[in-house]
Amino acid sequence: MIEVSDLHVVFGRGTALEKHALRGVDLAIPEGQFVTVIGSNGAGKSTILAALAGDVLPESGRVAIDGLDVTRWPTPRRAAYVARVFQDPLAGSCATLSIEENMALAAARGRRRGLGRALGHDRRDAFRDRIAELGLGLENRLGDRMGLLSGGQRQAVSLLMATLAGCKILLLDEHTAALDPATADFVLDLTRRFVADKRLTALMVTHSMRQALDYGDRTVMLHEGRIVLDVAGEERAGLDVPHLLALFARQRGGVELSDDDLLIG
Amino acid sequence: MSEIAFFGAVEIGLVYALVALGVFLSFRVLDFPDLTVDGSFPLGAAVAATLIVAGSDPWLASALAIVAGACAGLVTATLNVRFRILHLLASILTMIALFSINLRVMGRPNVAIIMQDTMLTPFYGLGLPDHLLRPLFVLVVVAVVVALLAWFLTSEFGLAMRATGVNARMARAQGINTNLHIYVGMALSNGLVALAGALFAQTNGFADVTSGIGTIVVGLAAVIVGETVLPLRALAWALIACVIGSILYRLAVQLALTADVIGLQASDLNLVTAALVAVALILPQLRLRAGKAAARGGK
Repeated sequence: MIEVSDLHVVFGRGTALEKHALRGVDLAIPEGQFVTVIGSNGAGKSTILAALAGDVLPESGRVAIDGLDVTRWPTPRRAAYVARVFQDPLAGSCATLSIEENMALAAARGRRRGLGRALGHDRRDAFRDRIAELGLGLENRLGDRMGLLSGGQRQAVSLLMATLAGCKILLLDEHTAALDPATADFVLDLTRRFVADKRLTALMVTHSMRQALDYGDRTVMLHEGRIVLDVAGEERAGLDVPHLLALFARQRGGVELSDDDLLIG
Repeated sequence: MSEIAFFGAVEIGLVYALVALGVFLSFRVLDFPDLTVDGSFPLGAAVAATLIVAGSDPWLASALAIVAGACAGLVTATLNVRFRILHLLASILTMIALFSINLRVMGRPNVAIIMQDTMLTPFYGLGLPDHLLRPLFVLVVVAVVVALLAWFLTSEFGLAMRATGVNARMARAQGINTNLHIYVGMALSNGLVALAGALFAQTNGFADVTSGIGTIVVGLAAVIVGETVLPLRALAWALIACVIGSILYRLAVQLALTADVIGLQASDLNLVTAALVAVALILPQLRLRAGKAAARGGK
């Protein structure tokens, strides 16, 4: 259970570039729900994720995970509850470490790290089994450096890494935006599979309205730091991209979408 | 090169292998360019020599030298992590401060311990000639350090430290307290360099406040030479490469200085070192550029 209440985030307070990124966001995500988040650039999508992860500390408001107030916790402390996949395929792993070393790092997320061996035979075998699930043939390349993989492969492994240790919420920040369409579909299907298999609570930011409606069981639209649309269940099932676009245009005061940077896929 | 000169070069190479391992930790593992070592090397020598002169057990004196070096590393790490001073500048501040501290520790610029008992004293009676015994003793120390480091860096804690240097954002997202790892890594790195200083004082019979000048360049030279000669990814090999690099570097310098044809003298050492490191840094770029040119030409 994730609870965000009256969250305000301001960047560069008191400077010429002051930006009120979140203006009072309330969002409660029950356990096991898969929420997709849409909105134009600067709407506050990534900021919500950053505030949940601890990268951004809010000006006011509260973030609670399973009733635990984590609002002021720094990122490493929250990591036991929060798993993430970044937009940039290079950001989620260590390029100069091997695949298995990256997996060992992720498997210890939220645990104390002692002086025991990071990679024993048992763990290697477990990693080999898990990475075989991806169907990318990486099970024979565990010792290869992460940097040798393609962007899509790295993103798939990052997703797998996010599921190696338990989490209360999985944060996906436009994690397919940097991939070609076929690879993006592959990673999205993988996402759906992992979320379903592990019954994860997930929050996925996307630029694509199509994806927002096709994946997950609830969609939230952000605009200028506020939630302007929150649909789930039958209401959501009846929605189509044109509806969403119309809603979106209304929020923007009737401005035509032609100059918009949305990817309508 | 005479046999004595050869083993002398090997010995000094082995002592500086500890510096190379320290520099490997800061520059390569943590990605923290740390110049503190120019101060922590003579600090280790000063602490060990002063304590030995005062009648302390040489092993205890060397252990305290390591602690002193670790503290120096912690100062640099604090300036950088806690007070957000640029790492290079933070380390220069500590290095400059250490010059005064080292003078205070010794009470004078130079302390001789040639007549005192050192860590090596008990072994002099074993019948091995001194010029072989000294490098052998340092080799054992270096081997122990390499084994400990290899174990440490492949542990869960050590792996987290490597992740801190490669991708700090990812490390934090995995629950790694990156600040803690910078503190521990810098303490370890400078502790090793101080141990090198303590060994240097005991094998050479003196500690000198100026002996730290250029330590960072020598350490870096050893790391780069090692990486060039033994470009393997496995961590244990990377550590061994530092040791081999340090010895090869010393032998090369010895060769350059003894070859009368070139006309170099001992005081040219720093120039030779700087030139060597510069060449080692430039060569990969030239190779890259040549590769690109070849690729363009092929199209």
